[in-house]
Parts: sequence; C-alpha cells; structure tokens
Amino acid sequence: MKRRRWPLLAVLGFGYAFLYVPVLLLIVYSFNESRLVTVWSGFSVKWYGELLANRQLLDAAWLSVRIAAVNATFAVILGTLAANALVRHGRFRGRTGFELLLTAPLVMPDVIIGLSLLLLFVAMQQVIGWPDGRGFTTIAIAHITFSMAYVAVVVRARLAQMDRSLEEAAMDLGARPLTVYRTITLPLIAPALLSGWLLAFTLSLDDLVIASFVSGPGSTTLPMVIYASVRMGVSPQINALATVIVALVTLAVVVAALTMRERGEKFEV
Amino acid sequence: MAIPDQRRTLEPWQDPEAAPYVRIERVTKKFGDVYAVDDVSLNIYQGEFFSLLGSSGCGKSTLLRLLGGFEQPTLGRIYIDGTDVTDIPPYARPVNMMFQSYALFPHMSVEQNVAFGLKQDRMPRAERAERVGELLALLKVEELRKRKPDQLSGGQRQRVALARSLARHPKLLLLDEPLGALDKRLRENTQFELVNLQERLGITFVTVTHDQEEAMTMSTRIAVMDVGRIMQVDTPTAIYEYPNSRFVARFIGSVNLFEGKVAALDGDQVLVQSRLGRSMRMRCLYPLALGTPVTVAVRPEKIRPCADYREDGVNQLKGVVEDIAYLGDVSIYRVRVGERADPSSRIVEMTLTNIQPRTEQALTWEQEVAMEWAPTSGVVLPE
Repeated sequence: MKRRRWPLLAVLGFGYAFLYVPVLLLIVYSFNESRLVTVWSGFSVKWYGELLANRQLLDAAWLSVRIAAVNATFAVILGTLAANALVRHGRFRGRTGFELLLTAPLVMPDVIIGLSLLLLFVAMQQVIGWPDGRGFTTIAIAHITFSMAYVAVVVRARLAQMDRSLEEAAMDLGARPLTVYRTITLPLIAPALLSGWLLAFTLSLDDLVIASFVSGPGSTTLPMVIYASVRMGVSPQINALATVIVALVTLAVVVAALTMRERGEKFEV
Repeated sequence: MAIPDQRRTLEPWQDPEAAPYVRIERVTKKFGDVYAVDDVSLNIYQGEFFSLLGSSGCGKSTLLRLLGGFEQPTLGRIYIDGTDVTDIPPYARPVNMMFQSYALFPHMSVEQNVAFGLKQDRMPRAERAERVGELLALLKVEELRKRKPDQLSGGQRQRVALARSLARHPKLLLLDEPLGALDKRLRENTQFELVNLQERLGITFVTVTHDQEEAMTMSTRIAVMDVGRIMQVDTPTAIYEYPNSRFVARFIGSVNLFEGKVAALDGDQVLVQSRLGRSMRMRCLYPLALGTPVTVAVRPEKIRPCADYREDGVNQLKGVVEDIAYLGDVSIYRVRVGERADPSSRIVEMTLTNIQPRTEQALTWEQEVAMEWAPTSGVVLPE
C-alpha cells in the first residue's frame, strides 16, 4: 500500500512557514521602495543607502557587536571554569549552592536580573566609585552574568561525556596538569567552547530588557534603538539592518559547521 | 641454603635476597565506606609478568591505579625500585600504563599519540622521530602512522596504545585488561605476542584481568583477589594445582569439593571421612589435627573411571551419568552420586579426553559409572 505522504508534508511545510515566513517577509520588505513597511511598491536598495548614512543606528549596532564579543569571550572563560569545577572537582564544599547560583540566571526573569544589577551598580558607584556611570561596562558585566550560565551548561555537558582516561593517559605520559589541559582537554572541548561563544554572542546581541536597565546616556544598544523606533513607526532601514544581521549570522553558522565537518566533529548549538 | 642461579633469575620470589622491584606495603584504599583495596601487601620482582586476577569489583583495577598514581592510598606505602612513590603524581613516576579503553587521543594521529610522552620529556625532534619509528615497527603498525584513532580497528588501537605506553622505555608497565576489547581469536594470538614482547624488552609487566585463561597463559605469577583482599599469590601451576582456599579453587577452573573431617593421619597423607560416607586419602603438606573439618578439592580432569570399585574403596565414588557436555576435545560428565531424590546426593564432574569419536564411546546417559583419583590429584583445604 502506498503511504499517503501529503499530510506529513503539509505539517512540515506549516512548521517551516511558521518559523521562516516572518524572516523572509522582513528581508523582502527591506527591498521595498515604499516608506510604508506593509505596502509593496517596487524594488529598491535605497534603504540600505539610508542605513549607511544613519549614524545613530550604526553606532548602536557597533556598540552591540562590541558588547556581544566582549561578553561572549568572558562568558566562555568564566563558564568553562565553572563547568570544570562542577565536573572535575567532585563534591567540594558549597557545590550545591554553586550549582544553584550558576543556573539561577537561566530561570530568573530578565526584569529581575536587570533591576537587581541596576541597584547593585548604583550602590557600588556610591560606595567604591566604580563603575563610573552606566554604559558599555555595566551592560557587558550584566550580559556576562547570565551568558556564562548558558556557556557552563554547554561546556559541562561536553566535559562530562569526555573520557577521563584520556587526561589520565596524558598525565601518565609525563604531562603536568596544565599541559594536559592545554594539549588534551581544550582541543577536545573546543566545539563546545565555540558553541558557547556563539550562544553568548547571540544572547547579548538580542537582549533588550536587561540592557535597558543598566545602560546609560550615550550607550544605546541596537535592540533599544529598534524598539524605540518601532514605537514611532518602523522605518524600512530596520528591515535592511535586520537583513544584514541575518546574512552575517547565516554565514557564521555555515562557516562553523563546515570547519567542524572538516575536523570530523558534529556542530551542535 | 644455596639457590641455583637458574632459579634465581626465573623465580626471584623464591630468593630471599632478591629485592622486589615493586613493594606494596599494607595498602588500603577506601571510597567512602567501601574498602576497594583492603590491607594488601605484595612484592613484584624485576622482569615479572604479574597478573591481578579477580571478578569485577574485587579491587584489582584500583590496585593498578594506585601503582600508576591515579589514586592515593588511604593507608600504606608503595615503593618502586626502592623509592617511596606513594605521594608522587603520575607524571613523575617511572611507570606507564595502558588503559582499558586504550585512551588514544582522538585529535592526534597515531604518530603524534606515540610521540606525546617523548615530547613531554623534551626529547629532540630527530631522536623522537626515530624512537616513534622503532616502536611502530616493533608493533607492526608503521603503515598506520598518519591515521587518526577512529580510523583504526580494535586490534590496531591496542597495538598503538601499547606502542605509546612503551615509548618512554618504562621499567614498569601497567596494563588494564590489555586484551579485554579484542575478539577471542585475536586475543589468543596477542597473548603470545605480549609475552614475547615482555621477555624481549625485559620490562616488568603488571596486568589486570578477569579472564583466568589469559592470566594462566601469560603470567609468571598471579594474585587472585576478592573483595579488596589478596587470596593467593603464586605461579599459574601452583594456583591451579594447589589452591589455598575454596574461593581460589572455585575461581580458577572447575573443581569438585567434598566436605568432611580428618579421620586419620599417616605421614604426609590424611584420611578424610567425607559427608558422602566415603573415605578419601589425600596428600597434605601442612599439619592438620584429627577431627578438623576440611574440604577435599579434586579437579574434574583428575578423576578417571575405575575398574575395581570396592564398597570400602578409598578415593572411589559411584554414580549415574546425568549430563554430558561434549566440547570436542573433551567431554564433561556430570555424575550424580547418591539417589537423586536424596538431598545429600550431589553432582561430581569428570572430564575425559575424547580419545575415540563420540559415537564410539561406551559411557552414556543414565549409565552407572565408578570413579577414582590418586591421593596426589587434589588438595585438602581448610574449611
């Protein structure tokens, strides 16, 4: 009997449509000539030109990318250290508390994280005079606090499934613990570090809530600019910018997947 | 007493003057409340192929890991070549280990794996390449030098792992289930190769295995372990022929155990009145008191059918063949001694070589058979 395949295909099609049609629409309308985002009036790339001239938007994008990169780097370092402590050091004193604190940002509402960090920064400025005002530093710190939790989860999984005897073998062959970590452990958990970095980068790039709390004058991130401009009516420039970002992300993922495949690893985010 | 030179080199443990290469002194290792290794003392001599044998969870792997430095003993000291290494970390011990999983570094080629230890020792590049080449040739895996571990078969991985653990020319090599992951045929070939290699290189090997056949073929001496303790340390022959306890007798090969009491003493022989109601006369090389409860242990292949069965015969039993296991070269006959309904009746195993084809043999199911054995064909074990 021939199995009827169209119901399955329909479900699949609906699923993909649900996920990608909004993005596609956004991309299509970035090439719209009209100033109205919802009315198609002809093909044009003029919004890309205007985007290039829009200093406010570009500055915000550049700030967001810088924050995201700094955040991702620190989050990977701290998250990896935390994952190491949890996987490798058994039942140390305060382990349960550490684990709880580390995973708290995963379940804590952004509003609460944002507010609590704002209060902390204000109090710190009064007591020790640092951070001086709010801006790049405070946003980066706020992002690191929650992204490192995500990195820790990813790296921890990879560390836990790694064969312990590989490190023991290296030590047996005369490598001191730091050398073992550098020559054996790090190369083997590298895919997780890369996944973690990309994850942290993305989390930071699209955070609106926490950044709104801890940013100051002159440090407006991209999501904040977009959100503010949407309230006054969306300019197709936003579409153009979003298209550029989607293109960059797609490129990054494809490059990462290809590099992994060359190394015989599977890329998973 | 003078010991002939030959024996001194072949059986250093017999020589009271020989200094052990590895000395384990009253070592205990606890994990929480569990004793993984319980007050173990052991001497291993230079050039030995020493096996730690036991079922899983008996502490043999922990003992090996203690030698490698991957675990710290809770109590006791470990000496290697006269130096106390108890507190020395693995990377500073003159010891290498071959892991059960082989633990080949997946991101390095065969060549890089073998060179890893030499690199840590900062050996110059040219010398390093030469040593790697020698080792790969020794283990016949030269053509694999550029491959990654996941492109190797199980047997090839085993060889590469062995090459890597030999690279730094260790004086002592620890092997955790070295043949465990190989299939049966490959295992048998590799056993001989491993012994040849060990003899050629003159390295002391300490292996862990749960396979008694493997331990018997390869070892100079075997330590049988159970629940963290060493039950017996001896040559394979002695372990098999003269086990010192019911546990060891049962653990290696199969054995018939007859419980009884010492009824008479006669020089180096004792007469045991068994619970089966028959007398057994066995050689016994240690003193026993009259009336002591003992167990007579006789291996199935040492029992023969007998022609002159007597009602008061010593070392004789009569029964009915209940099962026959035909293994090709030998057959194992399971003979019930006593009435089947009688709870005190029991099965005695007798192994006979199949000199004639199976179809020509006289002994068959439900047939009555008389059996006997010689006084030197077994041992008397304390209860």
